[in-house]
Amino acid sequence: MEAVLKNLASTVEMLAVAAQSDALNHWDKQTLSRAFHWARYCEHVFSKFHNNAAIRRIMEKQLQLTNQTLRDTIPGYTEVSFSDLPRCQHLLLVRLLNNPELPSSLMKILFDTTRPVKTMHGDYEDVTGLCSHIVQCKSVYKVLSPLADMSALGADAEVQGEMLMERLEALLNQGSETCRAEQFLGSVLQGCEGALQQFCLVIAAALLTSKNCTAQTAAHDFLLDWLQKKHSLLQYMCSLLSPTLLKDLAKEHQKLRDASCNVLKKWASEMEYSLSDGEWVLTSTGPGVSFKKLTELFLALFDASPSLRGDVEKELNALKISDGDFDVTGLSVWGDLLSALNM
Amino acid sequence: MSEQQPLSQPLQTEEPLLNDQEMQFWLDKAVAWGQADSPDTQKDTCLHMSRLRDFLHQLLTQVNSMSSTTETMKRLPFLGQLLGRLCWNPYITVCDTSRGLLLGCLWGLYSERPSNAVEKKANQWIRKVLCQLSTEEDETAAQALMKCTGVPAKEYHLKVLRKKVALLQENVGQSCTLFNSQRCSCDRIVDISKACIPIVTCPEASSLISLLLQRPVACVTEALSEDFLNALTSAYSRQGLALEEQALVSLWYHSFYSLEEAVLSLLQSVITTGLTPQKLEQQVAQSLLPKACAQHCSIFLVVNDIFRSILKQAEGNESVKTLVQTFTKCFLRELALLKPQTSISVKAFFPQSPSSLLVPLLTMPSEMPQGAWRNHLNWLSSSLQRLTEEEEEGDGRSTRGHHNVFEAWFLLVQCAHWVQVAVQLLVTSGTEDGDPFLWLLIFYHYPTKRWHHRASQLARAKEAWNHIRTLFSGAAHPLPSDRLQSLGTLVSPQPEQQSFAPSLTVSLLVNVAVFCQLPPSGSAEVLQAVRKTVSLLSFSDYCSIQFLLNAKLSMHNA
Repeated sequence: MEAVLKNLASTVEMLAVAAQSDALNHWDKQTLSRAFHWARYCEHVFSKFHNNAAIRRIMEKQLQLTNQTLRDTIPGYTEVSFSDLPRCQHLLLVRLLNNPELPSSLMKILFDTTRPVKTMHGDYEDVTGLCSHIVQCKSVYKVLSPLADMSALGADAEVQGEMLMERLEALLNQGSETCRAEQFLGSVLQGCEGALQQFCLVIAAALLTSKNCTAQTAAHDFLLDWLQKKHSLLQYMCSLLSPTLLKDLAKEHQKLRDASCNVLKKWASEMEYSLSDGEWVLTSTGPGVSFKKLTELFLALFDASPSLRGDVEKELNALKISDGDFDVTGLSVWGDLLSALNM
Repeated sequence: MSEQQPLSQPLQTEEPLLNDQEMQFWLDKAVAWGQADSPDTQKDTCLHMSRLRDFLHQLLTQVNSMSSTTETMKRLPFLGQLLGRLCWNPYITVCDTSRGLLLGCLWGLYSERPSNAVEKKANQWIRKVLCQLSTEEDETAAQALMKCTGVPAKEYHLKVLRKKVALLQENVGQSCTLFNSQRCSCDRIVDISKACIPIVTCPEASSLISLLLQRPVACVTEALSEDFLNALTSAYSRQGLALEEQALVSLWYHSFYSLEEAVLSLLQSVITTGLTPQKLEQQVAQSLLPKACAQHCSIFLVVNDIFRSILKQAEGNESVKTLVQTFTKCFLRELALLKPQTSISVKAFFPQSPSSLLVPLLTMPSEMPQGAWRNHLNWLSSSLQRLTEEEEEGDGRSTRGHHNVFEAWFLLVQCAHWVQVAVQLLVTSGTEDGDPFLWLLIFYHYPTKRWHHRASQLARAKEAWNHIRTLFSGAAHPLPSDRLQSLGTLVSPQPEQQSFAPSLTVSLLVNVAVFCQLPPSGSAEVLQAVRKTVSLLSFSDYCSIQFLLNAKLSMHNA
C-alpha cells in the first residue's frame, strides 16, 4: 500500500509538472510514454479500489496531502481528486496540450497520422498517434451523426444514460451511501446547466436502459425518487418528451407514470380558455404544453397502462361535475379534455 | 546586383504553382462547407476530396520550401484561415491522408524559434487549434457526465461512435418495407451508403459496411450508391481496407467494376510470376473468386466473359489458358461444396457452350474408368471436328458458326484436363490410330486458323510426332547426336517458318518421357531436348513442365 500511495503522489506531481512547468521542455518520447504509463497506473488503481471504502479513504487522504503541498508551491494549481483518477490519462493530455512548453516534437508524435501499431517503446506503451486517433474517432461520429437511425433519443443521449446508470449502480452498491448517489446526481445536474434539455434526454435514456438485474432496478428507483423531488425538472421533462417516449417510460416505470399523470392534471387545472385562439392555453410561466399536446400525452399514458384510463376518466368526470357538468366547449377544461380523449 | 536579376526571373515565373484564384476557391469552399451540414454539402465535399488532397499536397510543398513562417504568411496570407476552417471539417479530418496533409501544413507554419510577434502568435494559434481538436467537448452534458462518472473522453467518443454504428446497423438490418406513401425504405440505406464514402477505410465503420454489402437485395431500388462501391473498390485494391469473405463477394456482386479489378489483378499476379500448378491453384483459390462464382451465377458469367475477351486477343498464351483451366477446376470444386443448397443446373453456368459437349467435357477423367478414355476422346474429337466443319461449310463470314466454334474451344480450354489425357494417350498409342488425339491437340493450340491452315498444322504435327516416336521407339540408345539435333530443329524456329507450337512439342516430349517405357538414359535425352526448347517457352510453361518432369522422373527412378 505504501508503494501505491507513493506512486499516486508522484503521478499527481507529474501532472502538475505537465500542466505548468517549463521542465516540460526537456521531455522526450521516453518521458512522454512513461508519463502516460503512470497515468494508466492510476486509472487501474482507481478501478481496483474505488469500491473499498477503507482504501479509498487512505488514498483520498494522500491526495489531500499532495494537493496541499502543490497548492502551496505552485500558484494557480488545479487539484486532482480521487474521482478524477479514472480519467488520469485524459487529464494528462489536456495539461500537456495546454502547456506552451510542450516540445513540438512531442506534439508531432501525438498527432502522427500513420496508423499506430501498439508497440512497446522500451518498457512503455507507444503513445504515437494518440491525438490523431481521437480526432479521427470524433470525425467518424460527426460524419455518421446526421443519419437517421432507430433511436428516439440519439446515440449520445443513450450512451450518456448508460454512463449515468453505471455510476449510479456502483454508488448504490457500496451500501447505505445514498448521500453520495444524491451528490452525484446533483453534480451532474449542475454540470448540465445551460443544457437542461439534453439532461432530460439523458434521464429518459437512463430510465430506459434494460439490464433486468436487481442493481439496475434499485438504481432506477433511486433515480425516480430523486426526480420526483425535483418538481420543476419533472415538469420540464414532461414538456419535452414526445408521446412515444413518454409511453415507453410510463410502461417501464409506474412511479413515473403516476408522477407525469399528476403533472398533466396540474397543467390542465392551470389552463384558461382563450377566446382569440379558440383554445385552452397555459398562462403560467415555466415549461408547458399546448392543449393538443396535453391530450396526446394523456393518450400515451393510457396506451402504456390501460387501467389508468378508467381511473383518470372517473377523476375527470368528477371534476367536470364540480364545474357544473355542462357540455359546452370552453367552459370547463375537464369537459373538453374528456371529449378530446373520447371518454 | 543587376546581374542577379535575370537569374531571379525564372524563379518568379515558377512561383504561381498556387495562385490566388485557387486559394480563394478553396477558401470559399471551406466557408460554404462549414456553414451547412446538409446532404448536398456532404456530396460536394466528397466530390472535391481528391482535388483538395492534391491542393493540400502542393500547399505543403510550397510551405516547406519557404524559409520562415513570416515569409509564408506574406506569400500565402489566407493560409491560416483556410487551414483553420478545414481542421473543423470532419470529412477532411476523418481520412488519414488528408488529415496528415493538413497537420503537415500546420507544422510547416510552426517556428521552432519564433523571431517575431507574428511567428509567436502563429505558434500559439497552432497549439490552440490542436488542443481544441483533440480535447474540446462541444457538448456541455457530455462533459459534465464524463467528469462526474470518471469516463475518459477517448472512451466516451468510442462508445458513442459504436452506439451510432449499432443503431445504423439495426436500420440496415431491417428488410425493405413499403410505407404508406409508397416510398421504399431503401432510400435511407442509400443515404447511409453515401455517408460511408469518406469512412470506408475506418475500422470502426467496417461492420456497418459489411452489413450494407450483405443486405439481401429485396426490391428494385438500388440500395447502394455507386460512388460508395467505387470507393470501396479503390480502397480495397490499394490494400487500405480489410473485408471479410462474404462482404467481398457481395461487393463483387454489386459492382462490376470491382469484380473486373479483382479478375485482372488475379491475372496479373499469376501471369507475371512463374508458378507451379500447385501454387497456381492455391493462388486462384485464395483469390476467393471461384467461391464467389459458385455462390452467384452472374459473377461466373462475368468472369468468363473477361477470360473470353483476353483469349480472343491472345489465344496462344499458355499461361492464360492454364489459368482458365485451373479457375474452372476450382470453381467446380466450390460448386460441388455448395451443391446441396443450390438447385441451379450446370447449364446455367455455361449458357453459351454447346450443350452436347457440356457434360462430356466437364466430367473429369478420374470420374470414368481409364479404359473408357480412348472412346470418350474419340467422340469428343469427332464432335469438335464436326462443329468446325459446320463452320467452314457455312459462308466464310458467318458469325454464328464462328461463335459456336469459339465457344466449343473455350469450353475445351476450361476443361483442358482432356487435352492432357489426349497427349498421354497419343504417346502410349503404339500402333493404334492417334489421329483424333492429334487433331484435338491442334485444335486446342490453334482454334481459329482457317481449315487449310488447320490441315497443314495437322500435317506438321503428324510429322513431328512420327519423328519423336521413331526416335524413341528405336532400339539404339543413347541416340546419335545428329538425331538429337534433328529434334532440336523441330522446335527451334527456322528463319522461313514459324516455330511449330513449341509447347505442344514439348508436351509430347514430356509425356513420352513419362508414359513410355523408356530406359533412364532415354528420359535424360528427352530432358536434354526439352531444355533446348526452353528458350522458346514462356517462363510459366517452363516451370510447369519442369515440375511435371521432375515429379514423374522421381517417381520413375524410385
